[in-house]
Amino acid sequence: MIRSSRFIGLVALLATSVLGLSACGGTTKSGTVTILFGTAADSLDPGFGYTTQAAEPDWIVYTGLLTYRHAEGKAGGELVPGLAQSLPKVSADGLTYTLTLRPGLVYSNGKPVKASDFPFTLERSMKLNWGGKSFFTTNIVGAAAYDSGKASTISGIKTNDATGKITIKLVSPAKSLRPYGAFPNVLAFPSAGLVPKGTPMTNEPNSPPPGDGPYMFSSVTANKGYTLVQNPRFANQHIPDVPAGHIKTFNIQIVSTPQQEATQVLSNKADNFDPADEIPGSLLPQIQSQAGNRFKEVTTAQNFYFFMNTKTKPFNSQLVREAVVYGLDRPTYAKEAAGFLTPACFFLPPQIIGHPNAACPYGPADGSPNLTKAKALVQQSGLAGTPVTVWGENTSPRKEYADTYAQELNAIGLKATEKLIARATYFTTIGNAKTPNVQTGFADWQQDFPNPSDFYLLVDARSIQPVNNQNFGQVDDPHIQAALGTLYPVPASKLTTVARQWQGLDTYVAQKAYTAVFGYNKSPEFFSNRINFPSVIFHPVYFGDWTSWTLK
Amino acid sequence: MAVEPGVPAGTRLPGAFEAVPLAPEERHIAGIGPYRLALRRLRRNRVALAFGALFLLIVGLCLLAPIYSHDIAHIGPNVGEPNATVHVGGHTRQVLNANGVPIGPTWHSRFFFGADNEGRDVAVRLLYGGRNSLQIGLVAALLTIALATIVGLVAGYFRGIVDGVLSRAMDVIWSYPAVLLGVALGTSLALGGLDLGLFQVSGSSLGIPTAIIGIVYVPYVAKPLRGQVLGLREREFVDAARAQGYGSLRILVSEILPNVASTIIVFVPLIVANAILLEAALSYLGAGVRPPNPSWGTMIADGIHELPGAIHETLVPGIMLVLTVLGINVFGDGVRDALDPRATVRIER
Amino acid sequence: MARFVVRRLISMVAVLVAISILTFVIFQVIPNGDPALRLAGRTATPENIASVRHAWGFDKPIYVQYLRTMRNIFDGSVISYTQEVNVEDQIRGDLPATLSLSIGAGVIWLFFGIVFGVISAIKAGRFTDRALTVLSMIGVSFPVFFLGALLSYYVGYKWGVLPQGNYVPLTQDPVGWLTHLIMPWAALSVLFIGIYARVLRNNFLDTMNEDFVRTARAKGLSERQVIIRHVLRNSLVPIISLWGLDFAAVIGGGAILTESVFNLQGVGQYAANSIQQLDVPPVLVITMFGAFFVVLLSAAVDMVYAFLNPRVRLSG
Repeated sequence: MIRSSRFIGLVALLATSVLGLSACGGTTKSGTVTILFGTAADSLDPGFGYTTQAAEPDWIVYTGLLTYRHAEGKAGGELVPGLAQSLPKVSADGLTYTLTLRPGLVYSNGKPVKASDFPFTLERSMKLNWGGKSFFTTNIVGAAAYDSGKASTISGIKTNDATGKITIKLVSPAKSLRPYGAFPNVLAFPSAGLVPKGTPMTNEPNSPPPGDGPYMFSSVTANKGYTLVQNPRFANQHIPDVPAGHIKTFNIQIVSTPQQEATQVLSNKADNFDPADEIPGSLLPQIQSQAGNRFKEVTTAQNFYFFMNTKTKPFNSQLVREAVVYGLDRPTYAKEAAGFLTPACFFLPPQIIGHPNAACPYGPADGSPNLTKAKALVQQSGLAGTPVTVWGENTSPRKEYADTYAQELNAIGLKATEKLIARATYFTTIGNAKTPNVQTGFADWQQDFPNPSDFYLLVDARSIQPVNNQNFGQVDDPHIQAALGTLYPVPASKLTTVARQWQGLDTYVAQKAYTAVFGYNKSPEFFSNRINFPSVIFHPVYFGDWTSWTLK
Repeated sequence: MAVEPGVPAGTRLPGAFEAVPLAPEERHIAGIGPYRLALRRLRRNRVALAFGALFLLIVGLCLLAPIYSHDIAHIGPNVGEPNATVHVGGHTRQVLNANGVPIGPTWHSRFFFGADNEGRDVAVRLLYGGRNSLQIGLVAALLTIALATIVGLVAGYFRGIVDGVLSRAMDVIWSYPAVLLGVALGTSLALGGLDLGLFQVSGSSLGIPTAIIGIVYVPYVAKPLRGQVLGLREREFVDAARAQGYGSLRILVSEILPNVASTIIVFVPLIVANAILLEAALSYLGAGVRPPNPSWGTMIADGIHELPGAIHETLVPGIMLVLTVLGINVFGDGVRDALDPRATVRIER
Repeated sequence: MARFVVRRLISMVAVLVAISILTFVIFQVIPNGDPALRLAGRTATPENIASVRHAWGFDKPIYVQYLRTMRNIFDGSVISYTQEVNVEDQIRGDLPATLSLSIGAGVIWLFFGIVFGVISAIKAGRFTDRALTVLSMIGVSFPVFFLGALLSYYVGYKWGVLPQGNYVPLTQDPVGWLTHLIMPWAALSVLFIGIYARVLRNNFLDTMNEDFVRTARAKGLSERQVIIRHVLRNSLVPIISLWGLDFAAVIGGGAILTESVFNLQGVGQYAANSIQQLDVPPVLVITMFGAFFVVLLSAAVDMVYAFLNPRVRLSG
């Protein structure tokens, strides 16, 4: 017979455990969260996936040597060690990186993580033609040779499986076009998230390889949906800056109509609206009034601008370029984006170090266009009446931006005609030197990583190439080149020390009106009432940080 | 009449009239010709006439687009005024509100049918868009009829290798799923334009969707025509003409063509209606008229994209399109009834 | 008869080959449509682009590319440009939606087409006939995507009666499968019901005037027996063959518009998206698949006619 004290103790134990269970909301359903996406990931396989819809799940399934801090705002852009023990040791000339793998790491399938998995992962991403592989081929010694089939491994990476040591040699600055001070950011790409050696060298969208992260894929149907569950092996590896996550299961579904997505989240039938999708303007009033406590608009690191070809008429004239910026009708562009646009004039978005604090040189960012001043400047330049071809994409809202821009150009005294083409060939068309009349048109840039050098590719004279050019304005300014020469080599960890110089450069670019920036993207943070909204982290690089979500 | 392959049984083609040449002494006692008879029957068909008038009314309105745009609405079809204000029922509203939702019909001279998602006047775009849609539909139909007549006549009359080649070409176009063919060609040609050496057509010209739609429908007319010609060439009057020493071309034009004329006439409204519908479909899928030019199809597509807001953006061009096509269809039905009340001709899919 | 069949089969294969070549050529002439440029991404260097071009075989001459693609299609290994996924797996995944839409709509329009056609014919000239004629004329004049959008907006959004868009697999949720398909079926069928009712009505009336019907009546059969045994059977034959062709056309590509409006993620929508992204392999496969269907069914129809009517065999 159980003595009374022990009996009471037992009852107390039972009571607290019952109460504890209900406090967790512990029914089978509550551990599952449904997320709706309007567009499927290009592929969930980290060796191929490049879109935000792929990055969002991949960064918590595949951890790289380095990763980003799980925080909001500027803190979220900070690099922290992932599978590496600490941040890399960089040689004095900035060309040799040394890291050591943490001991005792395993993948979600139990296989141990080895140092040699790192070069294998990069080789696989290159074999699979990952859209950002140029970051590897231009920066790492021997990567380009591997990519073109001349070598069977990347000669610039040496690893020791016994000690876990990894040494990476970078291409010397004279040859490299790409920012090598920002190389640590390259190590944090989900495509550099380690996968086991021996994973097949083909894109596996339906059965992505195992990774070493807080979550893992449990079932995938490409283009229809997938499920993420917590990786039971992760918590024991005690990686300090990568949280294990709270939600047990994520159920992701592709629905394809933003209107349906929004209605379902509003009525709490689904839990999250993909931040990369647009909420239909007609539903916004309803959402703001009914769900104001679970809805927010966040500016992201993506700029929208009109490029102007500085090598041909009329935009080779600074006066005409200034006129264009004076005449930008930013309030209308914001309306055409249903309010998901922050009016702006500087090339670097606010989350990026180097975003100027100064006032806009040619009219306030949130003001109405100054057409009188613009017309006067065009007259002064003597180039009024010049025919101009305006390029744009033919899908909303980019189509509307191009239409409004063409209207503005006509209003300030130029003769604009539009050429709207399909998104699939847009950038390859305007980036091809053989395409005639690429004078001005729409362009945008979403950060690959939170470093200003990523954006400055677009105004760097050295990146001008005959095909796949991204410097559409053909900007070739010795002042910019000199500044980039000193700023590119600065290592990512020391970025804040050169913030003032980057700000100065960005202000200079705005004053020369090389790009007609009209805004930064705003994304919706929209949840059902099941999610604890204050605890949600909106990550500056990956948008939804799913490891931070908790249920109420 | 023998059933020709490719034409379902039960379909009777209006070939009931044979243009048998009358001997001189017969002419002054000839009865009313078959076409006069048909016209009389058509005139009695009030419903068909009413719908035909509806179609003409719509065409007329669209032709008046510049006047409406200039004198009444004071705004062009591709010009947006998103920040303008309109006074409606005592309230002053912005044409495009802060969330990008356009204003609905004001029933006044400006923005009569409301605005679209760029702040453009829907009524003005409706009329200009109508011009484009109707132009494409009518010209494409003309192209189809012309090509199909030539192909049908030549293939059916000359037979042999010529027939083989033409029929295979028709088969390829006919078997190619029409919408896919239209979208593929539309997308490809819009990007590159058409460069045939002799003349060039830019990718954004209306000629591209016109040509595509025109070609897609050729087999649907050419095949029945060919079937009919196959039968006609065995008739006595053709033998007689041959005996008289007529050349092939002359026989085709003076003997065969008049006999298939009524079939062709019956096809015209059918093809026009389908051409207008196909243009709308292609524009909806982004492979038809290029922005910023309006057409009813692109307007409906823009409207659908705006849903669930601004239903007027979808309804206005859609209803206009339906009324136009309905007008053509009912009138065309009346023409068919008038030419041969017992005939049933349709487009085989 | 055998020779006829063989001839049709040969021409069928020839047509399919011609269609595949035509599709390939259409996409080759696009300026800046070089798939390697698009595949390589915005940050690619010229060397990256060259390696992509080589890996995919775009540096080979056109006919070699064509033959390689065709070979990949036939052994089921062709992959798409934009996502590097196996096209045939994708199509297999999208097929249930398209089949559910097409077969369901096909059954509905055949049934209602016949019913309305017979009613129209029996009450020829009277109000019911005229009303049905007007309705069918309106149905024929409605663009299917416009009708679909209106249904989706009013019935789905405003009144919330039926779910808007998206496809729910039958195996997952039969009730959901049905409710999600009702509006797409309605939008797609309206067009054909109108046509079929009119064709059946006219065939019916024509057949009523035929000699054999008079004979049947003279034999003493009741009007009902006459209608069902003789008139209806005869007027239905062309309808069935029409249905076969229309159904093939819908599967092959006509369903694109309905699938796009309701986001059913079917084969047609996959084809339309692929065209917009200039992704050639899925377009090739789906076009050939659609054309194959059309050609097969039309050949079958012709063969049945040839079997029934020897004169056609000889003259065709």
